[in-house]
Amino acid sequence: MSEDTILEFRNVTKEFPGVTALSDVSFTVRRGEIHGLCGENGAGKSTLMKILAGVYPYGTYSGTVLYNGKELKLQNGAIQAAVREGISIVYQELTLVPAMTVAENIFLGREPVERGSIDWDRLHSETRSILEKYRLDVRPQDVVRNLGIGQMQMTEIAKALSEDAQVLILDEPTSALSEVEIDRLMEILQTLKARGVTCIYITHKMNEFFRITDQLTVLRDGKVVSSRPTTEFTPEKVVSLMVGREMKERFPRGERRPGDVILEVQDLHAEWAGREVLKGVSFALHKGEILGIAGLMGSGRTELVMTLFGELADVTGGTIKLAGKPVQIRGSQAAMKLGLGLVPEDRKRFGLVLPQSIVRNISLANLGQFGGSLAVNEDSELAASTRMAQDLAVKAPGVQVAVGSLSGGNQQKVVMAKWLLSNPQILIMDDPTRGIDVGAKYEIYKLMNALAERGIGIIMISSELEEVLGMSDRVMVMWQGRSQGTLNTRDATQERIMTLATGLA
Amino acid sequence: MSNSTVTQSAQPQETLVSGITRRFRQDFQTYTMIVALVAIWGYFAFATEGSYVSPQNISNLFRQMSVTSLMAAGMVLVIVTGNIDLSVGRLAGYVSVIVAYLQANTWNVYFPDQPALAAISSVIVGLSVGTLWGIAQGYIIAYLRVPAFIVTLGSLFILQGLVLLQTEGKTIPANQPVFSQIGQGYLPAELSWGLVALIVAFLVFNMLRSRRNKRRYGFPLPAPTLEILKIAAYAILLIAYVAVVNSYSIAPGIPYPVLLLALVAVVVTYVSSNTRFGRYAYAIGGNRDAARLSGISIKRNIFLIFVLMGFLCGVAGIVLASYVGYGTIGAGGGYELDVIASAILGGTSTLGGVGTIPGAMIGGLIMASLSTGLQMLNAPPALTYVIKGSVLVFAVLLDVYLKRNDS
Repeated sequence: MSEDTILEFRNVTKEFPGVTALSDVSFTVRRGEIHGLCGENGAGKSTLMKILAGVYPYGTYSGTVLYNGKELKLQNGAIQAAVREGISIVYQELTLVPAMTVAENIFLGREPVERGSIDWDRLHSETRSILEKYRLDVRPQDVVRNLGIGQMQMTEIAKALSEDAQVLILDEPTSALSEVEIDRLMEILQTLKARGVTCIYITHKMNEFFRITDQLTVLRDGKVVSSRPTTEFTPEKVVSLMVGREMKERFPRGERRPGDVILEVQDLHAEWAGREVLKGVSFALHKGEILGIAGLMGSGRTELVMTLFGELADVTGGTIKLAGKPVQIRGSQAAMKLGLGLVPEDRKRFGLVLPQSIVRNISLANLGQFGGSLAVNEDSELAASTRMAQDLAVKAPGVQVAVGSLSGGNQQKVVMAKWLLSNPQILIMDDPTRGIDVGAKYEIYKLMNALAERGIGIIMISSELEEVLGMSDRVMVMWQGRSQGTLNTRDATQERIMTLATGLA
Repeated sequence: MSNSTVTQSAQPQETLVSGITRRFRQDFQTYTMIVALVAIWGYFAFATEGSYVSPQNISNLFRQMSVTSLMAAGMVLVIVTGNIDLSVGRLAGYVSVIVAYLQANTWNVYFPDQPALAAISSVIVGLSVGTLWGIAQGYIIAYLRVPAFIVTLGSLFILQGLVLLQTEGKTIPANQPVFSQIGQGYLPAELSWGLVALIVAFLVFNMLRSRRNKRRYGFPLPAPTLEILKIAAYAILLIAYVAVVNSYSIAPGIPYPVLLLALVAVVVTYVSSNTRFGRYAYAIGGNRDAARLSGISIKRNIFLIFVLMGFLCGVAGIVLASYVGYGTIGAGGGYELDVIASAILGGTSTLGGVGTIPGAMIGGLIMASLSTGLQMLNAPPALTYVIKGSVLVFAVLLDVYLKRNDS
């Protein structure tokens, strides 16, 4: 093991009952590099990172992990042990305490103590210096609950940096960040690299690997299929290594002929928790069309879909017309009756009942379809849910397993199955492919095309401009609660969308 | 991680062994609790030299569990939605005091010497009081958004006051002959056997119907031997129970409150898993936001669950008054602890989303088994409390430990 190697995996194998999550994994990470780790969900990335974090302690896997030339032996239950060794993880799922301030979160579990009580002054001043050093746009005394999701992610990163990490593992750090925030993160990573901090970078966004990483390791089905300098790859090559097949196109193109207008929104204003979040949104959706909605974090995209679904936000002005008739939508029940379906942002929080089975999740919004006014006919429920799960190619050991045990892509398919079973005329999809691997993304795109061909109008919100351009017929761009303009995808470019989304035009 | 696309119809037919393991995995805690129950019975049978499992004691044991277990059936749903009801014991107590008062002071004025009418009127008033209280509590919790813990804690105080007010500190007799039957009567021995035959016939009919429906949908059928074994197991338990209670020479037959409890448990179990109302309760407890966005009215559902809880407190209060034959100032005091403990012993998660009524019934039986057993050993009441509390914590500890090793 040479001096510039910080981390080496040698024949690491990790088995769960019935599943081999990692099989004979070997590769090295050099000191001070940014090492990209990619693979579909279920390829073994998370398992590998959990070994590094001590979630799966020494002895629960076979093979060796060398860290600074010595074997890494993290003890059972001592996740802080990894932190003490200098290995910090920024998790994909946010792990902050919403009711605490930024400073309290950053030092959670490591609060500076002076004679038995917390030294608040030191805690705040150290937090301030970290935030300033990395130009993070939050204040130490901000309560995390009030932050945007991008700022929360920044806080999460600040927390890891404050732990004097030698190795920083970033698990999909940008999935919730806006373009501007991503740029800043990239700058931070370059700074860290210059200071000799090693980063392991996990993402599903291909362009980020080529933008930032030095070395790429591709995992498939728990095995390393390639580990080489990034310059030796092309995006197409990486994708084909990940899925094990050549993927000609990332966005399948459907034959679509949009029909009549089914939804028309004019000058919509809305309030959410006493704050005006929509300040004039207008657009039209046609039958069989995919309308993309682009905009940065905080532009009002999610607020718009929640308003359309009659939840959380209150309409304060403007009109919503369904098939030419003005409607007022009060709550999700009313929205469903009017033929709307919603695949919400953050499927774990808003979309699924994780401990319940695939069947129960799919049938949840549709129990009225099975049996009489009171009792649920479980046989017809099972039949319909299974058919839906099969149509959407949900991959699972069976339809009775808890959705919490599925991969992100399959969870998202279950959410879609739920709404498709309700037979909507309009399907609103809020960031439908967030945190989903390439293969599952492709399947979801194909599904969207099939739905549009059946005449369903689809509204798709997305943080990824490539996705918006690849999938939509038209793109409506939002900025600060307003619709800035609607572009035909044929004429739109990423630059034009960004110009509108940043309020420059 | 090689999962294939889900299929239901293409799965191989279930074998006996795979069927048993599947069922065992599904209801792991229920089975551990049954093992614990058998152990408790074994110990007391040994310590009391057999009198613990005498017909008299078995007959009384099930009757003793009925008051709290009636309420535990509702408590499961309350806890499943992420709520709690601390007022149940005192509400049942208040109902018992009211029906006692009416029998002692009111009915004989309006319709003297008509015990059947008096009993029916008492039941109607008792159920109404419980339900109305549930409506009020449910409204404040669901629609006015005051946390259930606080509303029901307040209720507990208020009801305590109302009980004192109603009784004026005295014990009121509730011993009209028909009314007394509710808590003290028995289904005659012959009818008890007839009921067992009916239930077994229904189970067989239901199995055949379910198999026919499954075949029509093309689902894999459970192993026939497994289904027959299951029915046989239920039949043996029922026969054993009826044989034992029928051989209680002084008062043979199934006690009415046990019948009532069985009926309530079956109905609430069905409601919890086969109606939209029940399903929504589990979805709300599992993920409130997802449930709301699926078009479920959370307020309405939680409101109705508290109404059901109030109704069941009414039932329990009537049985309580009839069983003890009095309305007293202490009626129902502390029962909420047994009710909540029964639900939790039966596998209901305090985090919401998880819990079964049959589990709570076993939990209730464990609680009653401990009380009666310790009583027979002449243990001081103080010890009973200490042991019940320890069993509760130990059971959950064991569950946490076993689940961790499982995953």
